[in-house]
Amino acid sequence: MDFVLSQLVGFGGAFVALVVDPLTYVYLVTSVFLGITFGALPGLTATLAVTILTGFFGNKIPLDYSLIALLGAYVGAIYGGSYPSILLNIPGTAASAATAMDGHPLAKAGRGGEALGLTTTASFIGTLIGTVALLIFVWVLLLVSKNIASPEKALLALFGILLSGTLMSEDLVIKGWIAGLIGLAMAMVGMDPLLSEPRYTFGWSYMLSGFQVVPVLMGAFAVPQIIEGLRHVEAGKMIALQGRILPNLAAVRRHLPTITRSGVIGTGVGALPGVGEDVAGWVSYGVGKTVSPDGKNFGKGSLEGLLSSETANNACIGGALIPLLVLGIPGSPPAAALMGAFKINNVIPGPTIDPNIILRVVAIMVLASFTMWILGLFTARIFIKILRIPQTVFLPVVMVLTAIGSFSVGGGINDLYLMLGVGVVAYFMNLMKYPIAPLVIGVILGGLFDETFRRSLFLSDGDLGVFVSRPGAAILLTLNVALISAQIPALRRAFANLRRKEA
Amino acid sequence: MTTNPHEADTSPLPPPFPASQTPAEAQQALAVLRARDFWAAIVLFVLSIFFLWRTSFIPLWGANRAGVSGSDWYNSAAIVPLGIFTGLLLLSAVLMVVAVRDGGAKRALSAVGIGWHPGEALRFGTIALILFFYIAGLVPRVDFILGSGLLITALIYGYHGGHPKRMMLAAAVLSLAGSYAMIRHLPQSEWTAHDDDWLVLILWAALTIWVFMRERQSRVHRAIPIIAVIAPTLLVCAMAFGFRQNVPNRGGLLFKQIEYHYYVTLKPIWSQK
Repeated sequence: MDFVLSQLVGFGGAFVALVVDPLTYVYLVTSVFLGITFGALPGLTATLAVTILTGFFGNKIPLDYSLIALLGAYVGAIYGGSYPSILLNIPGTAASAATAMDGHPLAKAGRGGEALGLTTTASFIGTLIGTVALLIFVWVLLLVSKNIASPEKALLALFGILLSGTLMSEDLVIKGWIAGLIGLAMAMVGMDPLLSEPRYTFGWSYMLSGFQVVPVLMGAFAVPQIIEGLRHVEAGKMIALQGRILPNLAAVRRHLPTITRSGVIGTGVGALPGVGEDVAGWVSYGVGKTVSPDGKNFGKGSLEGLLSSETANNACIGGALIPLLVLGIPGSPPAAALMGAFKINNVIPGPTIDPNIILRVVAIMVLASFTMWILGLFTARIFIKILRIPQTVFLPVVMVLTAIGSFSVGGGINDLYLMLGVGVVAYFMNLMKYPIAPLVIGVILGGLFDETFRRSLFLSDGDLGVFVSRPGAAILLTLNVALISAQIPALRRAFANLRRKEA
Repeated sequence: MTTNPHEADTSPLPPPFPASQTPAEAQQALAVLRARDFWAAIVLFVLSIFFLWRTSFIPLWGANRAGVSGSDWYNSAAIVPLGIFTGLLLLSAVLMVVAVRDGGAKRALSAVGIGWHPGEALRFGTIALILFFYIAGLVPRVDFILGSGLLITALIYGYHGGHPKRMMLAAAVLSLAGSYAMIRHLPQSEWTAHDDDWLVLILWAALTIWVFMRERQSRVHRAIPIIAVIAPTLLVCAMAFGFRQNVPNRGGLLFKQIEYHYYVTLKPIWSQK
């Protein structure tokens, strides 16, 4: 009880400190507005919003304001994706893909205003559910993570990369793993962390410090989208918004069980390392279709279906921050960009993180969700107008933003070359359906994996048994092996035969 | 290998949703993908071998370096990269097997099977040229506002509407500006010269006039000069004076004047007590 009270007091202190600072509102309203705009414009994603703002705000303003800007954009962008999903049948972000299934039929039936209002409220409640989970579980996990040593850290980093590769692959699962391995390989460039041995520097002094995170993020997430988006696209027919946006309380209360269930699912999926909002949206939609009495109407304009995906993708944000803050492993691609912001501010997320930062993150999330709710309900028509801007107009501006953001973080022209190189590679990877998130997570976790893996071996004099000698490490090793084995066709067949015989 | 039905957040464009492909189109798309996988597997295989060879340069078995004995194998800086590139080599072999089994090799070797039609090749090629000359040629050497203004004008004019001739014109203008800056002022010591700034300014003005002459009726094209001037100016000023950060080419033709007047004319106004 004392623990809960002390957390509430800590959170209250952080919340009041933010509320009484006028600058909070400047950053919050601007970033949430920008985030919703990024989410609403098809071709721009939540990851891109956080990445670009990392380049712009990352290490230029105090960390508190930087976090307000980045988390505000994150929350806003995930919600903003629902606008084109509902009105154009084009998901603004992949996280809102499931939203289009029911949102667009509702808009076609003249219930666009109702759909948008309920979506806004559900996204708000979903974000709060994720934030409450963050406040509770981050402390529990922080206590557990105090006992995590090098073997567990190495295996956890590997698990994050493998899981992200497995779940984010649109085509073959091995493509996700290849992307993760390429990211890990990129992290090996530069002086190694234990012996200061130069690796793959090719005599170029710039490479000695390794690849900088922000140019890699910009290259991986922004450049491919710019290249892909600069094409003529016939704008879909936007459905005129009908009905009032402000939802009535009775409707919200009626759908509260669905919203709560989806919020819990979204938070849980978000907490898995490397798995993003899009997976959360689909998982929740799938569960909703199975358990909801309205399941047969999913895909035909069901409010339950709409709320299942929209609540979950916003709840996922809080969940994605849990592994990021506790273990230093991003829970989603935008969280990977957020990790980049932490890194350039010399904050190392993980068991040693300053607890005050966690309380501030929770307070910012609560404020960001309120801001998103208010902006969503009262300025929706502005965002609908923004939807009409062709991507060939805003993408060139995004390119300029990307260039100056990438340059200013490192302060060198080499970072721009790196950004362009990574961008072209990422474009071709996208073309061949390789997920980019595992690559970025690999780059971010590569150093941690290398250092902790070798430290484990060093402390055990090269005995590989160190990875099974501790219960936590043994469990993680089993999970890693299971994840890989589950994709080997021969093993899958053997398991299937075994199960058939047992049956 | 299993597949996932969802689209990653990082994908360049949202998926056509609900599914807009017929089964035959999906089959065709998969065949193209496997042909690309075939070539990707070869590239990955070669890269893995190359980097495994480079890894052999890092001491592994307690080798001596400048008379100092190295550490044991398990603490070598080569151990993790060795695992990574071996893993990559194995996965590239698996990818090759999948591609060959699904007919990717036959398609990749028999015709232009990678599914890149000339229109798409032109679009990608011109964008690649534009981005290369902007990043490598203009950003380091030319005033950021001028270079970015030219980029925005060229990209919007070139790619709004999807006309191949406009794409080529946009690429030609950026290539001319970028290659001039690179050829005339390759070493860093010459990056402060202004002749390339003037050339970019002339090309920007000429392209803008051309756009106005050809596309007077289009609202998008009428907005180009406003976006091209305001966006980079605001960004570079916010970065330099708001966040006090380094910006590219501080000595550029326009930015030098802006910076001078900011510190000499404007700042004293609010700095005086």
